[in-house]
Amino acid sequence: MSTEAQVLTGARADGGRAKARIDRSGRWVEAWLRGHTLLVYLFLYLPIVVVVVFSFNGTSRRVTNWEGLSLKWYEFVIGSREVQKYLLNSVIVGLATGIISTIVGTMAALGLQRTPRWFRAPFDALTYISVIVPEIVIALATLVFFASTIGPEGLVTSVGWKIGFGFHTIVAALSLFNISLVLLLVRARLSGMDRTHVEASYDLYGTPWRTFWQITFPQLLPAIVAGFLLSFTFSFDDYVITTFVNGSGTSTIPLYVFGQIRKGVTPATNAVAAVMLLITLSVLIVGQLLTRRRGATGRDTSVAGMIAEQGA
Amino acid sequence: MAEQDLDALLKRMARARVPRRGFLAGSGLAGLSAFIAACTPGASSSPSASNAASSAPSSEPSSGGESPSAAASPSAVAVTETEGTLLMYNWADYVDPDNIEKFKTDFKVTDFTYDTYASNEELLTKLQGGAAGQWDIGAPTCEFVKAMVEGDFIEKLDWSKLPNAALIDPQFQNFYKDADADLNNYHLPKDWGTTGISLRTKVVKEEVKTWKQFFEVAPKYSGRIVVVDSPGDVFVAPLKSLGYSLNSVDPKELGEAREILRAFAPHVLALNSDTYDAQLANEEAVLGLTWTGGIADLVDKPETADTRYVIPEDGTLYWMDTWVIFKNPPHPNSAYAFLNFIQDPAVQAKESETNRYATANTEAKKLVDPKVLADPTVFVPDDVVKSGLLEGAQDVSTDPLRQEIWEEFKSSIGKH
Amino acid sequence: MTSPALAQPRPAATVAAAGRWRARLLTGALVAPALAWYVILLVAPIVIVVLFSFGDRGKTGGYVPAFTLENYAGAIAKPEPFFTSLQFSVIGTILCLLVGLPLAYFIATRARKRKALLIVLLVIPFWTSFLIRTYAWILILGPDGIVGFIQDLTGNTSFRILGTTWGVQLGLVYGYLPLMVFPLYVTLERMDRTLIEASKDLGAGRWATFRQVTLPIALPGLITGSILVFIPMMGEYVIPQLLGYGQTFGIGSALYLRFLEARNWPSGSAMAVFLILIMLIVVTAYVWFTNRGRTVRDVSVV
Repeated sequence: MSTEAQVLTGARADGGRAKARIDRSGRWVEAWLRGHTLLVYLFLYLPIVVVVVFSFNGTSRRVTNWEGLSLKWYEFVIGSREVQKYLLNSVIVGLATGIISTIVGTMAALGLQRTPRWFRAPFDALTYISVIVPEIVIALATLVFFASTIGPEGLVTSVGWKIGFGFHTIVAALSLFNISLVLLLVRARLSGMDRTHVEASYDLYGTPWRTFWQITFPQLLPAIVAGFLLSFTFSFDDYVITTFVNGSGTSTIPLYVFGQIRKGVTPATNAVAAVMLLITLSVLIVGQLLTRRRGATGRDTSVAGMIAEQGA
Repeated sequence: MAEQDLDALLKRMARARVPRRGFLAGSGLAGLSAFIAACTPGASSSPSASNAASSAPSSEPSSGGESPSAAASPSAVAVTETEGTLLMYNWADYVDPDNIEKFKTDFKVTDFTYDTYASNEELLTKLQGGAAGQWDIGAPTCEFVKAMVEGDFIEKLDWSKLPNAALIDPQFQNFYKDADADLNNYHLPKDWGTTGISLRTKVVKEEVKTWKQFFEVAPKYSGRIVVVDSPGDVFVAPLKSLGYSLNSVDPKELGEAREILRAFAPHVLALNSDTYDAQLANEEAVLGLTWTGGIADLVDKPETADTRYVIPEDGTLYWMDTWVIFKNPPHPNSAYAFLNFIQDPAVQAKESETNRYATANTEAKKLVDPKVLADPTVFVPDDVVKSGLLEGAQDVSTDPLRQEIWEEFKSSIGKH
Repeated sequence: MTSPALAQPRPAATVAAAGRWRARLLTGALVAPALAWYVILLVAPIVIVVLFSFGDRGKTGGYVPAFTLENYAGAIAKPEPFFTSLQFSVIGTILCLLVGLPLAYFIATRARKRKALLIVLLVIPFWTSFLIRTYAWILILGPDGIVGFIQDLTGNTSFRILGTTWGVQLGLVYGYLPLMVFPLYVTLERMDRTLIEASKDLGAGRWATFRQVTLPIALPGLITGSILVFIPMMGEYVIPQLLGYGQTFGIGSALYLRFLEARNWPSGSAMAVFLILIMLIVVTAYVWFTNRGRTVRDVSVV
């Protein structure tokens, strides 16, 4: 950022008169922005490249020991019903938490603007606390809470309502942080948002329902999508909370990987990661190609396109 | 003496797999055994026990430290009918996949659920938090059995359903001694291993055969020492080098150990339980207080063939993971069926080969691949086992002074 | 949520009262689920933690009811882990901001149709197990990776990243970057290009435009992003352990030690309550400070 500052102060010294100078400094800034972005993506993907390479590791035990190329871990993953189940469980937890958090969080962000101050201040405090409480603490406290209510000897169970632990406890516990995450994201988007469109819609006797979907929702969409992606990501790979509140048959991929620590983490998870990466990237590429083709002929209706158009 | 002879005889019989009906009838004990079976509530509730007329669950093993509890039920009968479901809570990839498949086919188990945990502390904390009652069996490390019994989280094992328990070396079954001996009725040894010294002999030329020598050479290899991130293991070194028990909570002894750790901490590069072998491989570390995992792979590779694993001669810790049945298991028959199945010598030998940890099952050991058997990081030589160099870990991690020392050690490693 | 219930207060005075009532109902319906979550899964556990913090440790761990302030005394007596974590979190947040702001700005204003793709690509690496990714960093930064290369190049064999504070900082930035980029992106993306052009037309330079137009718009995202990044970094445990070689003993390590290894829930709880209180004050102060002078105009858009 300091580079930009120098370049820009230089440009400002000449004010608006030296247009050419600004353009040149502008080109520098553009190049720097692009270069920076590229570097960050390299930074994010460098370990992933290593992960993929090590998925071909022929070692029998530890992922960190390189022992030549082999497809054995792909065979293992394809043959292991356990690993597939853990992956499926992770996807279930990620999607369920993502969807619930996105809906509840967005609703809360919208509703909160309409609430009086006396309500908003404590609600904000709760939102921040939910982010502040260290994961290990909330995990243990939530476990104790669940155990004393819906656990085998809990209050709810004693009146004959057997709930127990399972996906529902994982998703409920993970949703706490993620609802706050979505709430904060959508609120950042809402902050100072223009109400003129909404009012125009009402003036034209648009129903509130239609107004919301046609005016407000599209404006919020980037935040909603971002919220969903983040909450999916963080619950899909959550370890601490999941390991404390899971029930039988609901272990997820991170639990499997951490469970291997004692014996040495094998490249099995690298193979899982590589396969997932392959699937997601090909979906993205196909989507991108389709979008591009449609973009040439007419309106872009894909979600990607919709998000993109918000900025245009 | 007589009792031990009887034990040996009974074990031999269990090994020889005399059809139990014949054996008991021949020895004139059939009537007695039927009587006992009728009187034992645990046995009659099990379908397999009730249809096996000759099953003779012995009385509960005495809580005396002398008699091996498992061997006390030679006429036990395995559970053959399961509930069709088994819920296991274990370290990841800790049971051979083929053995799981075999168990599923042999016992008509259609739903085999394998959930994983990453540390004993987590498992215990989770149970103390109230998450019990969800799984059938688990495999914590043996020192945690005590807290689990005290918390009423695990079941006392019904040896009459575990004939293969007779194959376990009593030394391992009787992990708990003296006043705690009854705890041995709550677990069935899974496998065991040691904590020791790893070194790259290419760099470390000195002889390092004891913890004492380990601390002596440490300053020379300052910044190239890796230590597992586990207090129970780290305390072993100073205490054993001083000739004390590794489970000591004596303030004077711990005080001496603290001084050694204080002097040692600045030389440590890393506290690393996960990838210490990788650090040894790339020579970032050349000396280590480590477990055995991964070391054999280094020895196998030409570039790192100079790696050695040493069981210190001033004594060290052996850990043992052990099968337990959680309190009120949803599928008790499956649980017993699995525990007995996994101790079948052929099955257990395969476990040892897959997991590369020593089995406590004497019959299984005879079937283990000689190459694995000869690997010092897997099977400790018999004379070392007998020499009394190995000491089982007790659960002393909650001792306040130990905690204080550990916290001090943790926050001062690598800092000169 | 049918349309009649959603009716906004209209100018007609006769329906005003009914409309207000309906509006309140809608507000309640929107906030209720989140509120329920907070009450059941946040307030209840926090009450449990506070109870624990005054209790005694059980014989084999866990909690025994009691009333003692010893746990708090113990927590105050050892503040070092807190300051260690604070240092990492502050530097980590600043680094995330320096890396994340230009990135979010680029995606929001320059990426056009690739926007969605870039956003999704930002989180895909995080769908790989955290532990596996961290191992990858260990390999990259280890003696067989980049650092070994630099050592060979410079002849300085003592140079290393793993096991230093920089290794930890790198891991923290890597792990939490999306939490900074996304809030910045969602606010910057809304930015009206005409504002920038107006600013330029008025003779403002790029820097002035950035400072006076872009930054104020990004501010809500910046606040949200820093909070979302700063707080989890405070409690982070595994990254310092793996990339810092366990040489740093922060509040995350201290909490793990107390809750799991020592099984001393009361002592851990007291530490946690302390942490929550301090952080709540810090966050509130931060929000207030960064927002001062701005008239926050929250309007309902529903």
